[in-house]
Amino acid sequence: MELTDCYRRRPGLPWREERDATRDAFAALEAGRDASAEGTLLVVERGRITELNLLGGEVWKLCDGTRAVGAIVDELLPRFEVERDELSRDVLEFVADLLARGWVVPA
Amino acid sequence: MSAPGKIYSAPLLVNWSLNYSCNFSCEHCYSRFEKAEELPAGQVLEAGRRLAEAGVLFANFGGGEPLLRRDLLAVSKELAALGLSLSLNSNGWLLDEAAAAGLRDAGFVSVGLSLDSHRPEVHDRFRNRPGSFDRVVAAAGHLVRAGIKLTISTVVCRINYQDLAPLLELAKRLGAAQVYLHNFKCSGKGMEHRFELDLEPLEWRDFYREALAFAANPAYPEISFDDPILASLGVRDAEHGIPGSTCGKISLHLRPNGDLTPCGFIPLVLGNILRDDLPTLWRESPVLESMRHKTAKGKCTACGHYAACLGGCTARAFAVSGDLNAPDPHCWENPCG
Repeated sequence: MELTDCYRRRPGLPWREERDATRDAFAALEAGRDASAEGTLLVVERGRITELNLLGGEVWKLCDGTRAVGAIVDELLPRFEVERDELSRDVLEFVADLLARGWVVPA
Repeated sequence: MSAPGKIYSAPLLVNWSLNYSCNFSCEHCYSRFEKAEELPAGQVLEAGRRLAEAGVLFANFGGGEPLLRRDLLAVSKELAALGLSLSLNSNGWLLDEAAAAGLRDAGFVSVGLSLDSHRPEVHDRFRNRPGSFDRVVAAAGHLVRAGIKLTISTVVCRINYQDLAPLLELAKRLGAAQVYLHNFKCSGKGMEHRFELDLEPLEWRDFYREALAFAANPAYPEISFDDPILASLGVRDAEHGIPGSTCGKISLHLRPNGDLTPCGFIPLVLGNILRDDLPTLWRESPVLESMRHKTAKGKCTACGHYAACLGGCTARAFAVSGDLNAPDPHCWENPCG
């Protein structure tokens, strides 16, 4: 997978953001606390619920087929206190996992 | 990614009884004695808007026989456009080729058909409707040909618990993607016929052991159980990651008049979808609070499985004891406790 690749969420796959959880997780980040374990977005497939954490949820929302993975990194960089290389690795790894699950498809 | 273990901001699923009217009178029916005014189409849509706004993802129509509602397809099309993922359960009597095409075009993702035995005479007798077996088999064909995901719903009870293999074979032949094995509930007519139809706890255990073996066999359609007492057989959080009953944790039930209850089998009204704010009810209902924070009672107090099963099915416990915290009457653990 490359930063130039572009993906979109699989049509018809039900998901929902837990908005309060997202707000609380960003507040925790700003306060310097670790919010990586908090589920902020739910994906439901075949009756099974999977929680995505804050970074995963933000990546998921941006996987709408209009931007490449690299552009997702660009959008998220100001919101997460992390080096670009590290964020790029995390986002690429996460999108690759989504692709393996069949939750995103090439746009 | 992590497994969930908390209460979300809203239900994910609403089991929606659009109507209690039915063209059948089945021996186990939980709703045959229920009476409630049906919302007109406009109010059904308003209820759907409120569900979608709250973040509900799935609406599953039951009842009653949903196909008796003449406005079902028109209303469903608009509900699907709101983003709700729609399914329904039907006895199949009215589900001909045109109805199947209509359901597909209205946006139904899957349709469940009730099938209680592979033997036509047993199914027909249980459903008190001669010819119903043939009609449901025909309905399955119409759904599959229309391209709708077919699921089979079977209420496990004394008439069929020893016939799981031929039932699964039939489901497979019909093209079912999934078989829901619903545990018998002593509500409505089910309560009337409880002693004829319900199994003894050890019979439930043996049934589930057999069913779990079938579930592990990829030659059969996927089997869905959704029975929290499976925790004592080492099946924990099998499908959704929620310990204990899912009612009031990820799902709610809507009656035809818009009243909300924790599930179709617990007749405790939390409020009304048209009069009350759903997220507030979901957060603050004392009934839901009780169901989410159960207290072990009776034999459950000394049971090592309690943390995973939380007393089993809350609806069954409530139906026979009037106590949400009572042990599930189907539970085979510590029978003398």
